[in-house]
Amino acid sequence: MFNAIVSADTLRTTLDSVSVLVDECKIHLNEDGIEIRAVDPANVGMVDLSLSAEAFESYETDGGLIGVNLSRLEDIAGMAGSDQLVHLELDEETRKLHIQIDGLEYTLALIDPDSIRQEPDLPDLDLPANVVIEGRDIDRAVKAADMVSDHIALGVDDADELFYVDAEGDTDDVHFELDREDLIDLTPGNARSLFSLDYLKDMNKAIPKDAEVSMELGEEFPVKMHFDIAEGQGKVTFMLAPRIQSD
Amino acid sequence: MEFAEFAARAEEIEAEPADLEIVALVRDLLASADDDLETVTRFVQGRVFPAHDSTTLDIGPSLCYEAIAKAAGRNVSAADVEDRLAEYGEIGAVAASYDFGGQQGLAAFGGGGQSALTVGEVDETLQDLAAAAGSGSQDKKLDILFGLFNRAESPEARYLARLVLSEMRIGVGEGTVRDATAEAFDVPVDAVARALQVSNDYGHVAAVAREEGEGGLEDIHLEVGRPVQAMLAQAGTVTDALDDWEAAAVETKFDGARVQVHYDGESVSLYSRNMEDVTDPLPEIVAFVEDHLSAPVILDGEVVAVDEDGDPLPFQEVLRRFRRKHDVAKTAEDVELELNAFDCLHADGEDLLDAPLTDRHDRLESVLEPDGTAAVSTLTISDDADGIAAVEADALDAGHEGIMLKNPDAAYTPGDRGKNWLKRKPDVETLDLVVTGAEWGEGRRATFLGTFELSVRTSDGYETIGKVATGITDEELADLTDRLEPHILAEDGTDVDIDPAVVFEVGYEEIQTSPTYSSGYALRFPRFLSVREDKAVDDADSLERVERLVDGQ
Repeated sequence: MFNAIVSADTLRTTLDSVSVLVDECKIHLNEDGIEIRAVDPANVGMVDLSLSAEAFESYETDGGLIGVNLSRLEDIAGMAGSDQLVHLELDEETRKLHIQIDGLEYTLALIDPDSIRQEPDLPDLDLPANVVIEGRDIDRAVKAADMVSDHIALGVDDADELFYVDAEGDTDDVHFELDREDLIDLTPGNARSLFSLDYLKDMNKAIPKDAEVSMELGEEFPVKMHFDIAEGQGKVTFMLAPRIQSD
Repeated sequence: MEFAEFAARAEEIEAEPADLEIVALVRDLLASADDDLETVTRFVQGRVFPAHDSTTLDIGPSLCYEAIAKAAGRNVSAADVEDRLAEYGEIGAVAASYDFGGQQGLAAFGGGGQSALTVGEVDETLQDLAAAAGSGSQDKKLDILFGLFNRAESPEARYLARLVLSEMRIGVGEGTVRDATAEAFDVPVDAVARALQVSNDYGHVAAVAREEGEGGLEDIHLEVGRPVQAMLAQAGTVTDALDDWEAAAVETKFDGARVQVHYDGESVSLYSRNMEDVTDPLPEIVAFVEDHLSAPVILDGEVVAVDEDGDPLPFQEVLRRFRRKHDVAKTAEDVELELNAFDCLHADGEDLLDAPLTDRHDRLESVLEPDGTAAVSTLTISDDADGIAAVEADALDAGHEGIMLKNPDAAYTPGDRGKNWLKRKPDVETLDLVVTGAEWGEGRRATFLGTFELSVRTSDGYETIGKVATGITDEELADLTDRLEPHILAEDGTDVDIDPAVVFEVGYEEIQTSPTYSSGYALRFPRFLSVREDKAVDDADSLERVERLVDGQ
């Protein structure tokens, strides 16, 4: 059984965080909220998301697992105005999700969860540096890097206590740095890793500009980015594997 | 089997010039394929799916270039990949030239690390790729493909890229795999050949040969719903037929599209000559079969388009329907299609491939009785050349393409272009056309120009009318390349613009109207006959002449 009412805005933000990496996912329906974990087909980027029952106007379930086509669900959510409510109800018999937005009713066929890529195990990483940064600064860094290159180095200078971004193109380079003053918080440690901009650009799309993003970094290690959605009732973690920094 | 081992063996096979040695290498590969036998049997032929399965990966070259660029690393674009392609001539060499693996996977940090690619894993991933459909599926395909390339070392990348684009080209043909299967599992080659004819599944046949031997192969039969290759005809004359056979079975040759009808007693599937499923575009043929058949059968026939009076329309009208995926009902109204069945491969649980043509034809009539026999071709048995000429004249008068001559005693041999079926067609004139472009070849032919663009003369220049790539020997290719190279105006990737200087004599079967070429016409089945040494470009055929020929068709 699953029967919930949620604001269109919250639903869209939730779906967007996942759809930047995959187009199908499993949604765990737990008593205290929903959970989604997914990894992209090349096993490079991962998302781990939870949205607590408090983020919903009403929320009832006795547990379960459903598989959904995200773009389909996003299209439906896109039909609602941002202050409208979306009513979701699972039909256990037909394995379909009934979605109601005012008078609009949509019946969404679910996907067999077994046919969806297996959920990843979260690597347990102990990363030395932690940067707390505004979403809009990540956006600036990504946009600047994208002008010259298809990859981006993220690093923390332990001695000078700053967070920096490097992008090297064939001809032009971009360097961008933020010190303690510019950041919300900084736990210095030696860290530098190179990432594919393709993935980071997609993740950036899902990070709200006004979010506080806690970014964990290491030396040639994956980056983890944590931020809240739905006024703190939802938590998202992105993890992205690095490129090898040869030459 | 690790994919690296498969790649190493493919490399060995590719480097081997002698056919017998190639068979031995493929034999050894199959013998050591263990659990991956079916997959390896397909991969070595550059296939991901069995021949009877019309599933495709649906990956265009540009998507593949993009995936390679992404895996190749920093600031490599799809355009860079294309530049290398123009340089190396084939995608495998391009993929092998990059150092993949720059992007690490998350698994590398979760303990255990990344394991080597296996044949099974590549197969599974490619199946996932083929299954991706709908909005966003191109992105997903790109990600999946990138993930594969990213894990491939140089030799693996070479064969992965070729496999993905169906350009394996390591010199392993169907006959090679047939012979290698027989040798590897010690079964008679005839038994393998027969099993392949009826199943079209090299992987399955190899597995049965290994597990169950000759007896198992004999138990492989035709299956309704699994298409087999069509029996093909050679061009031939009435004299050929009457010299070789006591009498010839003569049939109208319809200007249509070959179709194989499968009916299991309830539902109908239709397949094209390439074994593609064409059931959906042909609802009226499905309805006809449902109405007139009761027992399970496999029939061979031709679908023809007819106008309101029942007179045949040109082949391209049928083709329009075959390619139509949407608005089937609308096009069905515009063009009426009819089935002309001429052979029966299977009826009511009985395989008829080995039965003589006349018996199969009798069976065909009986399965369509009482009221479906109008769809059965008329078979005239004659040993008299004049009588045959009369049948031909009637066929041509009725607007058909000509006649077929068949050996009345011959079995149905799928996929075989043997001497038991001959197509006798009225001769057509040839055209003298100017070469205005070409493409550099691929693989072994990378240093030769192939696929020549042909143009007709107009009052103020040249307009294209088609491309010719068949009928040319390797020796001729070398000669043509030498001849045309000095006239190259510009090159873009593998495409070449050529200053009009050389005239080809080109044979063809029909001129069709076509939006593809600037003349507004295209040649059906163009083939290179010779270089017209005696003709300058100003003497080549004009668009006017083409128009006159079309009017006369």
